[in-house]
Amino acid sequence: MSAALIAGVIASSISSGTSLIYATLGEIVGERAGIVNLGLEGIMLVGAATGFAVTARTGDPDVGLAAAALAGAGVNLIFAWLVVGRRANQLATGLCLMFFGAGLSALIGRPFVGTLITGLPRLRLPGLGAGAAARLASYDILVYLAAPTAVLVWWLLFRTRWGLVVRAVGEDPAVAYAAGRRPAAAQYQALALAGLLGGVAGAHLSLALTLTWAEGMTAGRGFIAIALVIFARWNPLWAIAGALLFGGAEALQLQLQAAGADVSPFLMSMIPYLLTFVVLILWGWNRQSAAPAALGRTWFGVE
Amino acid sequence: MARIPVLLAAWAALGLFAAGPAAAQDKPALTVGAIYVGSVNDYGYNRAMKDGLEEMKKAIPGLTLIEAENVPETAESERIMEGMIQQGAKLIFATSFGHQQFAFNLAKTHPDVAFEHAGGWMQAANFGNFFGATQTAWYPMGVAAGKMTRSNTLGFVVGVPIGYAIGNVNAFEMGARSVNPQAVTRVVVTGGWADKAKEAAAANALIDQGADVVTMHVDSPSTIIQVAEQRSAYSIGFQSIEARQLAPNGWLTGLGFTWGPFMTATARAVIAGTFKPAMVRQGLGQGMMGVAPFGKAVPADVRELVTASADKVAKGFNPFTGPVTDNTGAIRIKEGESWGGADMGKFDWYVEGVIGKAK
Amino acid sequence: MLYVFGNTYGFSGLLVRMIPLLLTAVAVALPSRMGLINVGGEGQLYMGAWLATAGALGLADQPAVVLLPVLTVLGFVGGGLWALIAGLLRALRLVNETISTLLLNYVAPMIVGFFIFGPWRSPESASYPQSPAFVDAARLPGFLHTRVNAGLLYALVCLALYHLLMTRTRWGLEMQAIGGNPEAARQLGIPLFRYILVVMFAAGGIAGIAGMVEVTAIQGRLVSELSPGYGFIGFLVSWLAGGGAAGIVAMSFLFAVISSIGDILQITQGLPFAVVDILMAVMLFIVLGRRPAGRAR
Repeated sequence: MSAALIAGVIASSISSGTSLIYATLGEIVGERAGIVNLGLEGIMLVGAATGFAVTARTGDPDVGLAAAALAGAGVNLIFAWLVVGRRANQLATGLCLMFFGAGLSALIGRPFVGTLITGLPRLRLPGLGAGAAARLASYDILVYLAAPTAVLVWWLLFRTRWGLVVRAVGEDPAVAYAAGRRPAAAQYQALALAGLLGGVAGAHLSLALTLTWAEGMTAGRGFIAIALVIFARWNPLWAIAGALLFGGAEALQLQLQAAGADVSPFLMSMIPYLLTFVVLILWGWNRQSAAPAALGRTWFGVE
Repeated sequence: MARIPVLLAAWAALGLFAAGPAAAQDKPALTVGAIYVGSVNDYGYNRAMKDGLEEMKKAIPGLTLIEAENVPETAESERIMEGMIQQGAKLIFATSFGHQQFAFNLAKTHPDVAFEHAGGWMQAANFGNFFGATQTAWYPMGVAAGKMTRSNTLGFVVGVPIGYAIGNVNAFEMGARSVNPQAVTRVVVTGGWADKAKEAAAANALIDQGADVVTMHVDSPSTIIQVAEQRSAYSIGFQSIEARQLAPNGWLTGLGFTWGPFMTATARAVIAGTFKPAMVRQGLGQGMMGVAPFGKAVPADVRELVTASADKVAKGFNPFTGPVTDNTGAIRIKEGESWGGADMGKFDWYVEGVIGKAK
Repeated sequence: MLYVFGNTYGFSGLLVRMIPLLLTAVAVALPSRMGLINVGGEGQLYMGAWLATAGALGLADQPAVVLLPVLTVLGFVGGGLWALIAGLLRALRLVNETISTLLLNYVAPMIVGFFIFGPWRSPESASYPQSPAFVDAARLPGFLHTRVNAGLLYALVCLALYHLLMTRTRWGLEMQAIGGNPEAARQLGIPLFRYILVVMFAAGGIAGIAGMVEVTAIQGRLVSELSPGYGFIGFLVSWLAGGGAAGIVAMSFLFAVISSIGDILQITQGLPFAVVDILMAVMLFIVLGRRPAGRAR
């Protein structure tokens, strides 16, 4: 276990975990309001494609990032209209959203495949040399903002009135309604924020991690984020740990290979998922469900 | 369920719209269909195929080319090729390995259509197979890397550890060793031909471990080359020589496929009615493979060395001539023996100097 | 359009596309009657294919009349056991089956990958990750020189059994009772635990048969890419059909038509196949959004 290996793993897990953090945070917000969004994968793809396309067109990755966030929010609002406004089944609509996002992102990204872009600039913390150590201190802005964003989301949910309403709606919309709140409005707002974060998560992949766009490039991260929400017990601060753990396990097997270790890439790739399972089982054993009580249930309104 | 008729009607309308333009057209000299497993803008495998087909199209007036990108290696590909045949295609290029079985199925039911598949082994009366003999061509690439490296560590990202890919790594390392006995090659396998996030992580991992020259065998070299460029490492490209545009500073050289001549010859044969499918494997110097232009970082003496090495290979030099030892010390190719083109798929061991596990 | 409907070849193409959808849709519909959500069709399909491959490779010298039934059973068992993991976790109230089936979707292809790169790597094509080709005896036959394979029979049998189960048997009734009100059902003495296990196993098994059909009829070997999302589309089919057998047939047909037209669009109009995803999703959005379901209406 050389220093280079450890540094490499940490750096990689931070890099690949970042997009998972944003996606998980987005899903937490939505689920706290009572809505499960299985289509997060689609939102991330739309974010990745839009971010890439706009950056390629304008030459400015910040504009691309903003576009990605807006696109994610926009598409999630379609989802919101269906599940909140039209009271459609959340799971079916979510899966549908996944297909929609996959198709839409392919269309948006198609003319730009192969375009060379300047991605989000890497900001180097001063004072460190080259090599693996420097990589630990040189990331794009989204990485640096990931933890603060988690804190911000935590603060929004647990320290503001808005967050209180959102969580109340997620626990029991009828009670919230009786108390004078409008559950639908809260859910729309939560889903808009969730879409924003999901779009950013996707954009990180295309604007920072790989600097490319390819159809389906999220490779299931949207679904992993959904599992990480449970892992994090619907708490934004824990989302960081979950995402880093998952990103780290992913990065570990590649780093081990580069260092010459005798590992089968397939067995190693299973580790993040098995790890998630173990944690989920432990949480379940705990018998205390941290899930918002009304999660997944459509509120039909009081007539 | 009133929704069904509405939905069916919408789709029927769409279907008619789709079928419309496929109607009467002028009879072309030949309609050629081609399917790509990815996007042609990948600076890699698919781009090289596309460039070859465009060359073919330019060379033969009246040739119509129908293409489909992002065709997965499943039964989907069979349906798409079928559709192209329905549109009049008489020559089909199935450009990715996983399309083989499906193209072969169609060859059986359409004896009047010629099929050429890239990278497989099946053959039939109307089904031929072609590919570049890449392994020996990697030797001069190794020479370039061995000369340019300062850390004596080279990095190789492999998508899928098939025999041919392992052979590429082996020839690369042998070429590097021939000019730099200290050079080692570290290998990272991503598990897929086109997983960009993993490729980025793999390239970073190799550079973390000290590699200052990075190369690859994946569908598209773009992500890896960009990571190398970002981290000021040298890169050697593969699949398409256009990839050099991605690394203005770090590009050394690369290998590219030049499918044009073969595709043009095949199309002409189909038009003339003389199509004879065969198992075609061409290496450097035979038309299907070329060495990419050198990057500005490569000094004149290294260029000469690499070019001389490439010429040697083109003239028949085979680095896989015994004795060759693997990276555990065992002798794999005995004195006096050599592994030829037909053996290239058999590699499940790495040569001395490669750090990695082939199995 | 004429191509799709106007000749037997085109039409048989539609039927071939329907087969995996029919199976994965039942795999979702069956547990849904009990209120269980199975989004793990993908993983169950892969594991059914995997176990069937083990049989095809291990028993390669058996005649078809022995081999094919054995492979069918193996396909069923493979997918069934995979779903059972999720079922067990749910029955023990540890993990919700939606999440566990979803996660298992990712693990299954890795297991397949491990085997086709390792113990089952085909020597003839060490050049590519796949198992050796199955012997002819392990190939599911087609009908009358069309591409429609006997998988259609499996699908129709599963549909028929499913329909009979839900409408004519006590078990079906009890399942729906559980789905309606699990607590009441439990108090009536219906063994919830057992039902969850058995139903998840059966559902996974049916998806597993879809996997077995893929490797024995379509591919002829185990490869790394078996399914373009059949598991998820099956979920949509089942949901649109309201879980009824006739509806599943109609919706599977519809999706088969959609994907056919998608192919044509790709070739004639140069649109990426992903556009089919958009159109399919928009169509479903319209359906989902048409009438807001509500109790007090």
